[in-house]
Amino acid sequence: MPTLETQYSSRSPGVKRLMREAIELANATEDYYACPLEANLFEWHFTVRGPPETEFEGGYYHGRILLPPQYPMQPPNIILLTPNGRFEINKKICLSISGYHPETWQPSWSIRTALLALIAFMPTKGVGTIGSLDYTPEERQVLAKKSKSWECVTCGKIAEKLLSAEAASSPALTKEESSMLENIALKAEEDANRKEVNNLEEAEEIKPKGRSVPFIEPEISQEDSLRQRNLPTTSQAAELLQNEITDELLRASIERSKRDKLWKMVVYGIIAVILLLIIRRLFFI
Amino acid sequence: MGDVGQSTANTSNKEMTSNQDELILAQQRQIEKEISESIPLVGELEPVTSLSSEYSGDDIYLAKVNDLAAKYSSMRRTRPDGNCFFRAFTYATLERLLGNKEEFNSFYKLAENSKNVLVELGFQQFTLEDFYDTYMDVLKRLADIDNVDDARRELHTVFNEQGYSDYMVVYLRLLTSAQLQKEKDFYSCFIEGERTVADFCHQEVEPMYKDSDHIHIMAACSALNTGVRVLYMDRGTGNIVTQHDLPEGCTPTVHLLYRPSHYDILYV
Repeated sequence: MPTLETQYSSRSPGVKRLMREAIELANATEDYYACPLEANLFEWHFTVRGPPETEFEGGYYHGRILLPPQYPMQPPNIILLTPNGRFEINKKICLSISGYHPETWQPSWSIRTALLALIAFMPTKGVGTIGSLDYTPEERQVLAKKSKSWECVTCGKIAEKLLSAEAASSPALTKEESSMLENIALKAEEDANRKEVNNLEEAEEIKPKGRSVPFIEPEISQEDSLRQRNLPTTSQAAELLQNEITDELLRASIERSKRDKLWKMVVYGIIAVILLLIIRRLFFI
Repeated sequence: MGDVGQSTANTSNKEMTSNQDELILAQQRQIEKEISESIPLVGELEPVTSLSSEYSGDDIYLAKVNDLAAKYSSMRRTRPDGNCFFRAFTYATLERLLGNKEEFNSFYKLAENSKNVLVELGFQQFTLEDFYDTYMDVLKRLADIDNVDDARRELHTVFNEQGYSDYMVVYLRLLTSAQLQKEKDFYSCFIEGERTVADFCHQEVEPMYKDSDHIHIMAACSALNTGVRVLYMDRGTGNIVTQHDLPEGCTPTVHLLYRPSHYDILYV
């Protein structure tokens, strides 16, 4: 069987880069581990530890990383395989660092950066972005427990892939990486805000209910809009502003319906006149 | 009644938007692919007058092409993929230096020492080294060729190999970002909005395929210690192309033609 070195032309900078990354990531850390498949340098499998003090604590999450032929000019795609309640499994994840937002990816980032971003991104709100799931914390905790015994068809038991807390020493974050992670968190929140504005109209009907309980955790409910209203990040100022906007929307729609009524009357009037003319023609000539 | 109708409309709207996003992205990729397949990363030399065929019947542009042809004999087109400034600038700089061993060597030294600044700015060391090594590799390969024509041919080959060509672009993007951040007090006046220089670098300089503005050019010039003259050709009034030297008052060694959101290389 050909080894990775003979299979690819190491003259290609992209291939050289992936081999470097494979060496850099060869030793598992406490938080993440990733390595290329034996037969394909452009597909990797990874395991990350659920971030502590979140509903993912104690969980082990396994997945695939698909690298485009243009890597590192274009971002890797991440696909989770372990059920986790935050991301759909077997689907490319929407993360500002992965394939769906190529414009924010930087070639100086790496697979390690992508994994750090994934871990940082897990506890953020999904708010309906591609590939996101809105499970409750309890459901996620159950999945985290279950994940310990989850096995990958290719890699086997995944919980054993990571080092224990005592044995490990994760490489320190570079300045660049921490600023990137901040950006990702920021991006997630911005998205959440934008989504809320979009949902204004839907939120109208349930506004009073939502306003009285702004800080409770989301209830299990299919009502997307209800969840939006319950986001703990919603500050009161933003809420006031939103109410104003909602009122305005309401007023605008009342105005619109008034105008509609007027037009209806005019149309009915015209029809009546035409009918009168026809009747006159039929009977009175 | 109306409410029910509206809420279904909203759900299907949401699905539509996400589907549309994907469709738009797919379409965008398709267009990018078509562009990249039709235009080489850096083209062969061609006469400036060849621009006329693009503007037949357009008097303003034709007059400007004539004006340009009076000042420059030939040009090289570059692929319009958002990296064109960085690719054209690096190519033109190296092409000129190949004819002058002494200047090439001092440029080599400048490049050799450039890594430390980037490390200090906190770039991930091992990916940085990856770009740096490839950049220096290319310079070494060129330096090892004695015959100038052979060296220029090698330069042309390397810059049309996507892997290497893009690596050269990335490294200049990093150097440009470093320059901006090193002199952030100066450059911050050129950035609109509330972005910091570092934010600007992360969003507009370091990612690939992001178009270059004045500010990118100024920083790239000062990072490579090279002066550039840009000739602007657009639909503006007048029959002549306007020119701009960056940094101001320099003796330009690289000449670029700018047409809205694209740069090509010019030769006197």
